[in-house]
Amino acid sequence: MAFGLVACGSGNSSGGKEGGTLTGTYASFPDALDPALSYTAEGWNALADVYIPLLTYKHAEGVEGSEVIPGLAKEMPKITNGGKTYTLFLRPGLKYSDGTPVKASDFTYAAERVFKTNSGGSPFYTGIVGAEKFAETKTGGIPGIKTNDKTGEIVINLTKPRGTFTNELGLMFVAPVPPDTPNTNQSTSPPPGTGPYMITKSDPGKGWSYERNPEWAKANSKAMPDYPSGHMDKIDIRIVRNSSTQVNEIEQGKADWMQTQPPPDRYPEVKSKYEGTQFRVQPTINTYFFWMNTTKPPFDDVKVRQAVNYAVDPAALERIYVGTIAGTQQILPPGMPGYEKFELYPHDLAKAKAMIKEANPSDMDITVWGDNESENEAAVTYYNDVLSQLGFKTTLKVINADNYFTVIGNLTTPELDTGWADWFQDYPHPNDFFQPLLAGESILPTNNGNFAQIDVPAFNEKIVKLGEEQLESEQKAEYAELDKGYMEEAPWAPYGTRTLSTFVSSAIDLDNVIFNSTFGQYLTSFEFK
Amino acid sequence: MGAVAREAHSHSPWYLAYRRLRRNRLALASLALFVLIIAFVLAAPLWADHVAHTGPNTTHTTETIVVDGEQRDVVSVEGKPIGPVWFGAGGRFFLGADGGLGRDEMVRLMYGGRTSLFIALTSALITTILATVLGLLAGYYRGWTDGVISRTLDVIWSFPVVLLGIALGTALAVGGLKIGPLELAGNSLWIPILIIAVVYTPYMARPIRGEVLALREKEFVEAAVSQGAGSLRVMFGELLPNLWSTVIVFFTLNIANNMLLEASLSFLGAGVQPPNSSWGKMVSTGVELIYTAPLLAFAPGVMILLTVLSLNVFGDGLRDALDPKSKVRLEARAGLPEPEGTAV
Repeated sequence: MAFGLVACGSGNSSGGKEGGTLTGTYASFPDALDPALSYTAEGWNALADVYIPLLTYKHAEGVEGSEVIPGLAKEMPKITNGGKTYTLFLRPGLKYSDGTPVKASDFTYAAERVFKTNSGGSPFYTGIVGAEKFAETKTGGIPGIKTNDKTGEIVINLTKPRGTFTNELGLMFVAPVPPDTPNTNQSTSPPPGTGPYMITKSDPGKGWSYERNPEWAKANSKAMPDYPSGHMDKIDIRIVRNSSTQVNEIEQGKADWMQTQPPPDRYPEVKSKYEGTQFRVQPTINTYFFWMNTTKPPFDDVKVRQAVNYAVDPAALERIYVGTIAGTQQILPPGMPGYEKFELYPHDLAKAKAMIKEANPSDMDITVWGDNESENEAAVTYYNDVLSQLGFKTTLKVINADNYFTVIGNLTTPELDTGWADWFQDYPHPNDFFQPLLAGESILPTNNGNFAQIDVPAFNEKIVKLGEEQLESEQKAEYAELDKGYMEEAPWAPYGTRTLSTFVSSAIDLDNVIFNSTFGQYLTSFEFK
Repeated sequence: MGAVAREAHSHSPWYLAYRRLRRNRLALASLALFVLIIAFVLAAPLWADHVAHTGPNTTHTTETIVVDGEQRDVVSVEGKPIGPVWFGAGGRFFLGADGGLGRDEMVRLMYGGRTSLFIALTSALITTILATVLGLLAGYYRGWTDGVISRTLDVIWSFPVVLLGIALGTALAVGGLKIGPLELAGNSLWIPILIIAVVYTPYMARPIRGEVLALREKEFVEAAVSQGAGSLRVMFGELLPNLWSTVIVFFTLNIANNMLLEASLSFLGAGVQPPNSSWGKMVSTGVELIYTAPLLAFAPGVMILLTVLSLNVFGDGLRDALDPKSKVRLEARAGLPEPEGTAV
């Protein structure tokens, strides 16, 4: 297993060949090849070994990979002032790939750049003193961040304690970049980073390439001896839209790795033929669910929402997702701290129908929303059929996946009754599921994440309180209670947690490839046999 | 004087066209095939209710059926749909299930055909009416009326058909269409119908306009005008009857084109919206399972092929029958000998 290779140090080899060129394929170009802007799994996968933040995540699989460790910072932050002040020190001797020395003030520049570029990651940092004002004015700096380039000291002051802040410091949004980096999307010419690889060419729509960062061997690897150096000399990524073609290329040895999942048509074949040698199923931390708008009939009635939970059959959805979904009916997915398994709504269509009859909703005309990615479209079509069986008169609206969340996140969109959604963790903290998706304050006119528009004051208070505390066993137990509490209110009908996969050519040592549930396969872990 | 000319003195042009069409066996065979396809899709409710016992959108993901005495999953635990079982389950899942949702492929094929043909026929009808009216107005009035109509048609014509269709289809799929009292939901079949009708209108209106421009110089038009006939009377009483043969041929060929465009739009997600099926939509979902269940894409693909082929061959035959000179012109251009008896 890859656990044995965690944090193999600079120059360490695990028995494979050092050097060579890795050829990988993606189904589409990531949203951005810019650390401040990228906010998709594909983008984070591409950038994880290029831009190292002050804190980072352990190069490991499973629960171990969710541990936050020092990145460019010497050690974990010292948290004082009742959880409102974070003090870190930059490791000395760090350089960007263009040879520019890394300074403590570059962190300030990176944080300001997040706001100046209107990055989707900016809400993580509005808790810094003055950041909210800076987000509006974009001038005058963020007074809550104080740095000293001589000592490398970075002090961050928050307006109130934030238990998830160490996780958020580990995201690439605030990875230091040189202070002359323009405040626009740099995907065509990604800025210099500090990681073992640097992006040398980027051709949006077609692909991009990496080479070893020359400053890594000279400077950074000495400053960060625990961070893996990687084995490949060069990595070429091509965009191959058809995932079946990607599978063919792996089988023919034309590509070494596909970032995308094999298509449903090929998945069983690939799994049975290559599992253990070239293919591995990767558990990830996410929840797939159907949301119900709790503010208007018929889903303003908890009985109706509970009936829908009884009617949705996770076993059917497991088949629709060709076995890449593991059925679950709760907010927190397995693997997330605070997860405790329970089953409030075992599948029972007859009971669901009886509950609907008893509730006798005033409005049975509903619109069901979904996106057009193949399995998701099939899932919402199934859900539409289930609702029809319960007696609802449904109108199914399947729209392009590229703007699906923008449309359903805009409260002026008419007929937002119920629909499909999924949520992948930003970082391994249960608050990342409750705060953006279920807290009353997250109901926003646009970019709304609380699709069910549920607003339970007692739960809201608990989310705020837990968000300010560090995540210990007591908090984990409270999150588990919150999970159950929400599912009793049933704003969602969760149905599963998705697994992803690693599929490599026969030339690659699969055992060494490390898959992190937030950042995907680390490029530094690929190695030829 | 040839044989055709002798006929012309004793029978109406429509009768002569009918006789010429009757002699074209290939065209008649194509018509018969098209009628068979219509009958096939019209039988959808009968098949669904009395043979398959399921609707086109009903899912059977976790159900099992008995095939030749053996219990089988409609969709396997790994998500693979059952293949064709023909009459092994009394007609249920005759062509198998359509994917992870476990819907009856045969029922969806029949209902999908209804949708595809309904869209193709209705949009062809709208295109024909629009194109005929616009062609008549532009060709008869000329001047600024012609300028406005022709330039508007040029604007639509300047867009690639599929690209324009996708742009309109994608934009209208979310919010639907609202123009004055006309309000259509995003998943209404009238959205692709209107899109297809509009994008093909210039392709029919331009030749009709050209023909009107030529006809309005003829003596019979001058005679009608000199007898005091108004513009509307001249356009619809004198010119239109002389356009019928052109319009009918265009209409037939337009149905085939519309069917292909509907298939393309639905394949690309900008046409028929789920859970409704159309042959284009079925090809689109079937392609995702092309390795394990090729029939899911192949069956609707063959239906599109047969329908379009039958309409095109019949349309050609109809054109030859209604306007035999066009065939002579085409063959002369291709360097073929002039057929006996066609010269008048």
